[in-house]
Formats: sequence, C-alpha cells, structure tokens
Amino acid sequence: MSTDLIHISINGKPFEVPKGARLIDVCRDKGFDIPSFCYYSDLALQASCRMCLVRIEKMPKLQTSCTITCTDGMAVTTQSEEIEKAQRAMTEFLLANHPLDCPVCDRGGECELQEMTFDWGGLEERFTEKKNYYAERYLSPMVANDPQRCILCKRCTRVCDEWMGEDAIEAGGRGAHTVIGTYLGWLDCSQCGNCIEVCPTGTLLDGTYRHQTRPWELAQTISTCNFCSDGCQMSLGSRGGELMRVVARDRYVNGLNGEFLCVKGRFAHPFVNHEDRIRTPLIRYKKGGKLIPTTWDEAIRRVAEGLDSVANQHGRNAVGVVGSPRLTNEALYVLHKFATELVGTDNYTTTDAFSLKSFFDNLGSPLATHRDIRYAKTIILIGGEPEELQPLTAKQMRQAVRNGGARLAIINSARIRLVEQATHFIHVRPGSEEAIVLALSDSANDSLAAQKAGIEVAQIDVLRQLIKDGPGDVVFMFGGEMSDAAQAIIARLGSTFNRDDVRFRLHPLPLFNNSIGAHDMGMMERGITAEQLLDSIGSQVKALYVAGGFLPQQLEGRADALSKLDFLVVQELFQNETTEFADVVLPAASYAEIDGTFTNNDGFVQRVRQSILPLHQAKSDWMITAQLAGELGVDFGYEMSASSVFREIGEKVPAYAGLRYPLIKDEQNPVQVKHQIRDEADTQSSLNSVRESVQELPNEGEKNYERREVGHELFKIGTLTDKVPQFHLLASGNPRPETTRVSPLYQITVDAKLKEAVGQ
Amino acid sequence: MQIKAIGCEPLQLRRVHLKNSRTLDVYRANGGYEALKKVLDGMSPDDVINEVKKSALRGRGGAGFPTGMKWSFVPKDSPKPKYVVCNADESEPGTFKDRYLMERDPHMLIEGMLIAAYALSSKTTYIYTRGEYRYLIDIMDVAIEEARAAGLVGNNILGTNFSCEIYTHTGAGAYICGEETALLSSLEGLRGHPRMKPPFPAVSGLYASPTVVNNVETLTAVPDIIKMGGEAYQKLGTEKSGGTKVWSVSGHVNEPGVYELPMGYDDMEKFIMEDCGGMLGGKKLKAVIPGGSSVYIMRASDIIGKDVRMDYEGLVAAGSSVGSGGFIVMDETVDIFESTKNLTEFYKHESCGWCTPCREGTDWLVKVFKRIASGNGRPEDAQLMLDLCDNIEGKSFCPLGDAAAWPIQSAIKRFPEDFRKHLSVNSES
Amino acid sequence: MSQPLTKIEPLYQPVDLDVSPATFSADVEAEIDRHLAKYPVRRSAILPLMFVVQRERGYLDPAGVLYLANRLGLRTTDIWEVATFYSMIYTEPIGKYHIQVCKTLSCKIRGAGAITEHCSRKLGIKPGETTEDGKFSLSEVECLGSCGTAPMFQLNFDYHENLTPEKVDQILDSLP
Ligand SMILES: Cc1cc2nc3c(=O)[nH]c(=O)nc-3n(C[C@H](O)[C@H](O)[C@H](O)COP(=O)(O)O)c2cc1C
Ligand code: SF4
Ligand code: FES
Repeated sequence: MSTDLIHISINGKPFEVPKGARLIDVCRDKGFDIPSFCYYSDLALQASCRMCLVRIEKMPKLQTSCTITCTDGMAVTTQSEEIEKAQRAMTEFLLANHPLDCPVCDRGGECELQEMTFDWGGLEERFTEKKNYYAERYLSPMVANDPQRCILCKRCTRVCDEWMGEDAIEAGGRGAHTVIGTYLGWLDCSQCGNCIEVCPTGTLLDGTYRHQTRPWELAQTISTCNFCSDGCQMSLGSRGGELMRVVARDRYVNGLNGEFLCVKGRFAHPFVNHEDRIRTPLIRYKKGGKLIPTTWDEAIRRVAEGLDSVANQHGRNAVGVVGSPRLTNEALYVLHKFATELVGTDNYTTTDAFSLKSFFDNLGSPLATHRDIRYAKTIILIGGEPEELQPLTAKQMRQAVRNGGARLAIINSARIRLVEQATHFIHVRPGSEEAIVLALSDSANDSLAAQKAGIEVAQIDVLRQLIKDGPGDVVFMFGGEMSDAAQAIIARLGSTFNRDDVRFRLHPLPLFNNSIGAHDMGMMERGITAEQLLDSIGSQVKALYVAGGFLPQQLEGRADALSKLDFLVVQELFQNETTEFADVVLPAASYAEIDGTFTNNDGFVQRVRQSILPLHQAKSDWMITAQLAGELGVDFGYEMSASSVFREIGEKVPAYAGLRYPLIKDEQNPVQVKHQIRDEADTQSSLNSVRESVQELPNEGEKNYERREVGHELFKIGTLTDKVPQFHLLASGNPRPETTRVSPLYQITVDAKLKEAVGQ
Repeated sequence: MQIKAIGCEPLQLRRVHLKNSRTLDVYRANGGYEALKKVLDGMSPDDVINEVKKSALRGRGGAGFPTGMKWSFVPKDSPKPKYVVCNADESEPGTFKDRYLMERDPHMLIEGMLIAAYALSSKTTYIYTRGEYRYLIDIMDVAIEEARAAGLVGNNILGTNFSCEIYTHTGAGAYICGEETALLSSLEGLRGHPRMKPPFPAVSGLYASPTVVNNVETLTAVPDIIKMGGEAYQKLGTEKSGGTKVWSVSGHVNEPGVYELPMGYDDMEKFIMEDCGGMLGGKKLKAVIPGGSSVYIMRASDIIGKDVRMDYEGLVAAGSSVGSGGFIVMDETVDIFESTKNLTEFYKHESCGWCTPCREGTDWLVKVFKRIASGNGRPEDAQLMLDLCDNIEGKSFCPLGDAAAWPIQSAIKRFPEDFRKHLSVNSES
Repeated sequence: MSQPLTKIEPLYQPVDLDVSPATFSADVEAEIDRHLAKYPVRRSAILPLMFVVQRERGYLDPAGVLYLANRLGLRTTDIWEVATFYSMIYTEPIGKYHIQVCKTLSCKIRGAGAITEHCSRKLGIKPGETTEDGKFSLSEVECLGSCGTAPMFQLNFDYHENLTPEKVDQILDSLP
C-alpha cells in the first residue's frame, strides 16, 4: 500500500487517507461505526454478510465497504435511512434461523451477534416460521459445534486455511442448508481452536470449557503463554481461584498474536489446577525413603544445611544449579545470582535442549519480530519445524507468503508441512542442514555442501540469489538442531550478504517460552549443557539445586546419576523423574499464579501476570531462591515483590537497561530488549568446526520422505499436557467416538471404542 | 414442439431440420466453417472484434451485455493464457434454446468458439454444460473429434498457425453455476459460489487469467456476423440490439417451442396468439413471464392490444425484460400465487448460500408461502413479503437475489387479487 | 523470480477412515486420465471424476472419496465440501433408477404434479424415497431445460418428455 495521501469525504466531512486503504478500516479509524461479520483484516475478502453496506456517490446500489478501496474524491455516506434499513434487515435475516435461546448458549455475553442485535436488531420478531434445526455435536475433543447458530461468516474456514494451512474445516451443503463441518464430521487437524476464537457466535465452542461458567463471571488477566518461544499474549479467565479457560480474543487482549493461539496455549491450561500438583514442601529423610510433607521453614533449613555441607566438604563447584527455561526472567535472574554470588559455583546451566550462547555472542543483525516476519519479502528457514514447535511463527510465514507475496525457502531434511506454502524447498539428507549454512557463508563450499546434502549446486545458487536480489526484509530462521558453531555463522549471515538496500533479520526458534530470557539472565553463559552437568555428577558435582526438572531425554541413560548425588533439591509443580531422587521437594507456583516476565524469540520482554493465587502452599520460584539465600545469611532484599527483582534486572542486565514493569505493561506495544549487535566477529573457528563436521557426513544416503503428521510434536505428552485428558486422545490419534452428537449439557463421552484406542 | 424462424430468414435455426444436421458434412455443405476460413485468411483479431461490435450483438445469457465491448476488455498484452468459456449451463426456468442449438447444430457452436478464441488469441476453451445435459456433452465431444479429424480443432487449424483446443466440462446440478463467476469457480473445481467483481473475468477469470464467458446463442451468432458482416447482421434487428434472438416458449400455448425472431419483432400478442398456435384449449391468456423466471411477470392486459416490441427496450417499456428469452405463458387457470410460490421454491433451492439476504431471505419467503398455502395466511403477509424482497433486492452478493425478488414483487403488485384470495384481506392494506 | 527447484505438490490430509481407497479398472483409470488431461489444475476435474466414481460405485462412498482425495491431491473435506454443493452428486446410496420429475413452473402448469403422483402411487414411495429393493428412487427437481416438452422427467441421464401416465407406465415397466 503506497503512502501518498488522497482526499475522500465521509458523511460530508473531508479526510486525507492513504491511497488504496480499505474503506471499512478508514471509516472505523475515523470514528464512523460500521457493523460487519465476515470482514476480518488480513483474511481473504468474503463480502457475504452484507452488514458493512455504505452509499458511495456515483455508484449504483449500496456497496460493501469491506471490498472498496479508497480512491481520490470518493464521497461516502455511512449513515442514512436507506443504509440503516439495509443493516437492520441483514441482522433480521441472520436471526431468522438463529435460535434465540441466548441464555443457554455458551457464547451468551460475548457474542458478536448479540451485540449487533443490540445495535441493529428490530424490536419485534417478524420471523414466525419454524427454524431450520441441526443437532449439536462434537467435531473433536477440543471443538464443540452447534450448527444452528452459524451465520456463515466463514471466518473459521478462512483462518484454518490461511493461518494454519490446514483446510480442515469447510462449508458443506448449499443455500439455507449450508453448514460448517468436515467429511464424516470429525476434525483431524492441529486442534489450534482458532476457529473457536474467531467465531462471532456460539457455533464453534471450546469443548473443554463449554458450559462450565459464564464469561462475565470470569476475571480476565492478560498474560503470556508458557509453552513455546513465540510468547503469545493471552487472556486467562479465572473464577474462584480456578483457571477456567484461555483465549486471545482481542476484546481482552491484543498482543503480537492477535486472536491466534495454538492447541497448547489454548487447551493445556487445566494442568494448573490439577489435583496432582505438589501441595506442600516434602522431605526425604533418608535415601530411598518416602517424601514426607513438612513446613516451609523446616524444608528451607534442610536445603540450606544440605547445600552448605556439600560446599564445605567438596568445594563450591560441587554444588550445581539448574534452572528451567520455562521459569520467569525474575526466577532465572535470582537463581543465577544465587549460583554466582552466593554459592560461587561454575556449574550452573539451564535444562534447555538448545544453547543460544554462540548465537548471541556473534549476533550481527537484530532479531525479527513476528510483524517483521509477516511483512518480510524473503524468508529462509534452516531446519526447525515451526508449525509444530512455534505455531505463531509458522502462521506469520504463511501469511507473509499468501498475503504479502513473500518468497519462502525451506532447507530441511524432512518434508515438513510448511513446505506446502514454500516457494522453494531444498530437501537435504538427514543431518546435513549445516552443509547449506556453510555454503551460504562462503560459496567456495558449494560443491562440498551439495554433495553432502544430496542436492545440486544450482539449488544453492538459487537460494543465494533469493537473498541477494529482491526488495524487502530478509529473515533468517533456524531450528534448535543447529550446532553452536552453525548458530554463530547464521548470526553473521546479515553481514555475509551485506546489502544496505534491505534489512536483514534473525529469528531463532528455541523450544521454550523463556529460552531467550534464560540466556539473557546468564544461565547459559557457562556453555555447559544439562547433559554435561549430569555426567559430572559423582566426579565433580555432589549436590544439585534444580528449579523445574530435567527433560526426560536428558535423563535417558542417566537414570542413576541423580541417585548418586549427596543432596538433591527440586522446585517443581508435579512429581516427575527428577523429584524421584530428591531429598527436598519444594512446591513451585505455575505461570498463572505469579507475576514476572518472559522474553520471546522476538526479543520482546512481556509480562506474566497473576491470575489466581498460588495453589496450596506453592511459592513463586524466585521467592523460594531468595528465601533460601536469606537462610544462608544473604538478604537479596526484594521485599517479596517481583517488580523489585525486575528493577534489579534493569540495572544489572545491559540488554534490559532501564526497563521497569510500568514500561512494559502494554501488550499492544511490546518492548524489544537490546541484545548487543556486533559489527565484527571472528567466526573462523566456527567455520572450521562446521566444515569438519560437514566433511564427516556420508557422501550418499537415503533422504527422509516420510510425511510429517499434523501434531507429531504438538500432541506429544509432556509433564504439563499429561494432565489434560484431551491431549491423551490427540496423542493416540484423535480417534472418532461412536457418536459425536451431544445434548447441550454433556461433555464429550470417552466411549468404549475411544477407551480402547487410548488404551485405558 | 416447434422449432422455426418467424419474420426472418433462419440463421441460428438454419440447419436444425436437415437430416444429420449434427454432422460435419451437413454443416459444411450448408455454409459451415466459411466464417472461420474468412477469419483465418486475412482478418486480424481486432477486425473480428470490430465486426462483432458493429453487429450490436448483445449477450444472450440474460445480462444482455454488448459482446464486442466485452471482448475488447481483454488485455492484449497480458502474459497469462487467455480463456474462452461457453456458458451452456442453461438452467433458467422456461429456457431451453441452447439445448436445441447444441443438439441440432453442434458445429455452429464450435465454429463460434474458434472465432472467439482467435479474436481473443486464446488457445484453450471450455464448454461448461449443465450436468443434466449429459447427452449434449456426448454430442459435443463427437462433433469436436470430427472437427479435430478435419483439422478444424487442435494445432495449426486449417494449416494456419492458429491453434485452439475445445474441451467439454460438466456441471452437476446448480443453477448458480450459470452466473459467470460462479461458473468459473465451479470450473476450477470449487463450490459454485460467485466471485467478487471487480476484477471482472475479462481481466482475471479462470485461473486468474483473462477470460471471456459467453452464452451458447451468443457464440453461435458469431459465424453469421462474420459471414454477412457486422452491419448487415445488426440491420436484421434494431439499432441497439442487432440480429435475431432465439426464444423458448413454454406453458399454455398450442405450439411451445424454440422460435427465432428478429430483434424488435413488432408484436408480442401476435407472437403468442398466432405464431405459437394460440392458447391451449382456447383458454384466456392471464400472464406471461417473457425472459425466463428472473424477470417481472406481465399481465395479459399489458400485452393484448399493446403491440409490445420484442427487444430489450421494448420489453422494458412494457414493464419486464428480455432476460434469457424464456416465455412462460399462463392461462386463466393458473393461480399466480401458486406460480410465484413455485418459482420462489426454485430460487431457495438454488441459492448458493454465500450471502445473507439471498440465503436467509429465500428460505424465509418459501416458509411464508408454505404457511399461506396451508391456509394460515395473514393480512400483513403481502406487506411482509414485499419488504423482505426489498431487503434482498440490491443487497445481495450476486444478481440471483434480485432475480428471486422480482417475480414476487411484480406478482403481488400486478396480481393482487390472486394473493388476496389466500390472505383473505386486501393485500395493499 | 526463480522457479522452485523441487516441485511442491500439495499434501492431502487422509482421515483415518477404516477403508482403503477405491480401485478401478484400467479403462476407467484411462477415462479419468483423459479428464485430468483437460485442465492445467488437477482440482478442476473434480466434478467429471465424481460422476465417474458415482457411475462405478453407485454413490460417493468413503472409499470413493478417499480415491478422489488421493487422485486430486486434496483433503477428504475438500471433496465433501464440493460434493454436497451440487445436487447431482450423491453422498448417500441411491436407487438403480433415479426418476427426477421436473417440478418447476412450466412443467408444473402442464401437469408435472400428476406425473409425480402417478410415479408415487405406482412405486409406493414418496418423492425423496427409494424403493425397498433399491431399484427406484423418486425425486422432484428444478427446471431441467425441457419446458417446451413438459411434463417430463429425467431417468438417470435420459430425458423422457411430453409424459402421460400411460407413457410413464410403458417406460418404467420396460426397465430391466
Ligand atoms: C443467477 C444467474 C444465472 C445465470 N444463468 C445463466 C445461464 O444459465 N446461461 C447463461 O448463458 N447465462 C447465465 N447467466 C448470465 C451469465 O452470468 C453471463 O452474463 C452470461 O453467461 C454472459 O454471456 P453473454 O454475454 O453471452 O450473455 C446467469 C446469471 C445469473 C446472475
Ligand atoms: S459480508 Fe461483507 S459486506 Fe459484510 S462485513 Fe462482511 S465483508 Fe463486509
Ligand atoms: S420447467 Fe420443467 S423443464 Fe423447465
């Protein structure tokens, strides 16, 4: 859209607007209310609800403002008897076959049709005929459907196609008998639930929350998702200390994700109030014994003793400190401070599978925000699988290609689903992505790379050409499987190609909601992995202080490592492989119960807000660490307030310099932290090590052609999703129940067929 | 059933009564493919378009848009392939002319399409035929193969460097797929929903490429235009709408059928009462729907003694329009309430469901009609129906909504007594 | 802009139907190939192919839908959305002979109602129903473009025009 201005008049008032602006947006922007259902910005135009009618001079009939782009001298009327009659008529038509039993509708109170009827509805109902009837049903464990209430704005089918690239839900039938649905009525998709989110009526409903409560009974708290590194903004709806639902509906929140959430962000929240949450501190009085409930004072004293004695006997480095990348910046900062200043050990790290140290040490261009991605003109994705691991990033990429005409090149050894949207796909042999990175850094490596990756040199040239020519931002993305050395090279690609006519942006794809924060707070600075730390147990490390559990794959083959420890203390939500050997277990509070911040893969530091009070005796992780420090005789002096911790982060962490909670409170304008960008960096050693590892790759070998099933990562059962029955259904292939019909008040029934499929 | 020309030399119907009129030989023996020859030796695409412009040929599909102008909208410089699509979806109630043109004289359509393709430098053309006309698709396929064997279809037609393919495509039962943009959606394998205009098909149609959609009769008129020249063709008709028009006549006449008349044929009364053999069983004429169901219904009194001229202007002046030229003649036994109910059910069944007013409006109207028919009419129902029609008309996404409203509006206005009967009270109240 | 070097075919989403895709004889496959050859985009052949599958299998059963999805590189739901839009595509089993009486105005006023009633009485089914033995289905349909020869019905793909009850009897009785 060009930026030169043109003149139009709305209801007689003159305005200057950008050429080619969409009339409906302009009118609303200038304060003229225009009703609409089907219009949804950045989705394909539909012009089917006919609510947004306006009168435009010199045009026959009323026009749909959603389809009109402003031209110079256009004279628009948005309010007149004729227009109001038309709009009232459309509302009347929409209500004709729509049930008027709002009191039993799950959307009652937050239904756009209700609101529209309030403004445009008639006083008396003229439709006295029999309404068309369709039975309520479930489309999937997550999605309930009441076809009668559908007004066919087709937002759901459009987000499913345009955002998710799945096309899983469509309109079937014809005329007045059109219904939204799927073949055989079972929804086989990534269950993101965005169709529910964008549905203006009670047609598509959250199957997990349906009929649990009323929207107006919910306290809405704007917070940040605690699953992947995209950091979606969401609204936590709680009632009486219970987290009831999660939505992104932008009447509550309007973050970088708009109304987008993925299956985890939207549906995995029930873990918060799950009965298995650890309720009190627990002590194992002798190895192999049981964990016995105790008081906080007793537990803290015990931990202080335990760590103290190990440090005294075996030296400070015998005490290891580990923090989960799921924790808040506050928790990780205090943990880092505890490890370095109080214990003074060298053995501290995160449980992240993916260290960002070398990437940030060599950072040559700024991080790409999700907005940058949406409007980028060239996107290079090396490895990774955003549609499963960072769904919002994947959505932005799809829209960049579809709506922005971006060129998307995917370099991957697997045919990931995003390839459907890609303009270029370089299918390399398993594990040879780094060969392409090497080639990009220096064309001298082309033939080597091509040989090892099993592609033609020409493919690399095309790729290089993409980056060299064409206007607009260029974004490099890379997945977690990249080695530290490869990350260093990617971090410099901007300066390698060195064009001053376009902007280069980098977008790492770490796995956790606060992986970036964990790096920023210094927990990755030692450059040791959780595995290395575990392996040094016995030889060097004798005691571990773990905030938030190891990943199962990290403990694989190291099961007894933990048992060899003299002393193990764990802060956790649930008992798991790590707590099994713990001497002391401390109940931590979940993201819904605390204040803090996460830093996402845009480098945005975003607020986590307390939606419900900590359950049972749980405490926020940083408080526990601070209390422990106090017990060991050092007062960190935060007076139990997260904001004072963040203030200290603002003072001590350069990238966060000067930040305070009040400065980052607006989720609509997130603040990007200032990671240092280096003009110069020596990547020679990295290049060499990548070249070596590439040279070691075999010269031939099979490529991986297997189809990536939707949800093969998303539906994997983790500690948190394990607590949500619906995820077990998904994990076992989302089997179709014998009947999908439901009477309004029943939730989906796990019938025989389903039970056996799920193996219960 | 009659098939004949009245008041003019048969053009479109020239060959229909010949033996084996379907075959290439008969077609050629009677002037077939001469126009194509003429075009290929010596006429430039623009010459062709100019002739068609001069002929004042207006689209016979219903919209009556000047064909030459439509063709000239196609951007010459576009790098994309260009498509010509023949609209043989003929689903307008009361319309069946295209069917007989294709059944009796398939090569005339092929020649017309080839000339159109040449004029628009298109290499690929499709004939979208409604699914029910399966036997016509078979006829066309045979004819196309015949033509191909004779070097008239395919590569280097008649030894020139003009190449063009003609493919038949089948619909599957959806009136809306006659609407040109819906037809294109359907041809792309999607649900048959109309598309937003602009962009118009001429600019971005089939596969987002420049596309011209023309009715069968429009295309079959083209060979004669080329042969006799644009002016001559136009002179057969009126200044604004040239040539001849093929009308379908059905209902209560002794000789329903397909009649070719010069545009501007001077008397509609004579046409019904004499040319079509008069009213069935000598009953009295009550009403006529002259343009397929989607136009205003006419009272006998607006026809008898009013010498209504049969062309676009004439019929509009008489309070209706040409539409697709499907005459539905109704005698005194017909209850206009019933006939309107019947047509409204048609539109409800055929509404594609895309936009609110058409989808919900037609559904609502049918329910009201049914309630009234079941004896539960209310005095205010007539007003309600008029208001619903008003709320559909001009607000719907495509013209089908309007098409559903017009018959009801005109019927209630022009035959209040028939509605009054059912509403038991004066409907203008 | 440079062309993609690896041809990118859309992935389809096979639902876990407990059926495997339908299979067809070489001739039918050849016929299907002929249809596909007409269009630059595979999806365009969806209606012609549906008619073929319908002819071979009676209606669009899950196996047929799965076949179409694979053959056209679409998801089964894409097949469903199209199939349910068009009145001539059957997603439910239908009688061997489908009698479709035109009920629209021109036919109506020339006695379509009587024809429907006659068929109804003769076959003992109402419009929209199928006989026990699955031999006949009866429907009332909208204008078939045969108004000049009303009343009429379409029997499978064949037009029978200027009908009278006697004519209807002849036609139906002569069916194997
Ligand atoms: C609801 C609707 C149905 C239509 N049905 C047909 C049809 O069956 N056959 C046809 O030729 N045109 C039909 N049309 C007109 C087409 O949209 C289009 O105007 C025509 O095919 C253009 O060809 P022409 O310029 O040669 O008339 C229909 C239009 C509408 C709005
Ligand atoms: S149908 Fe259109 S007219 Fe209406 S709001 Fe939606 S997009 Fe605008
Ligand atoms: S109305 Fe019956 S075929 Fe036209």
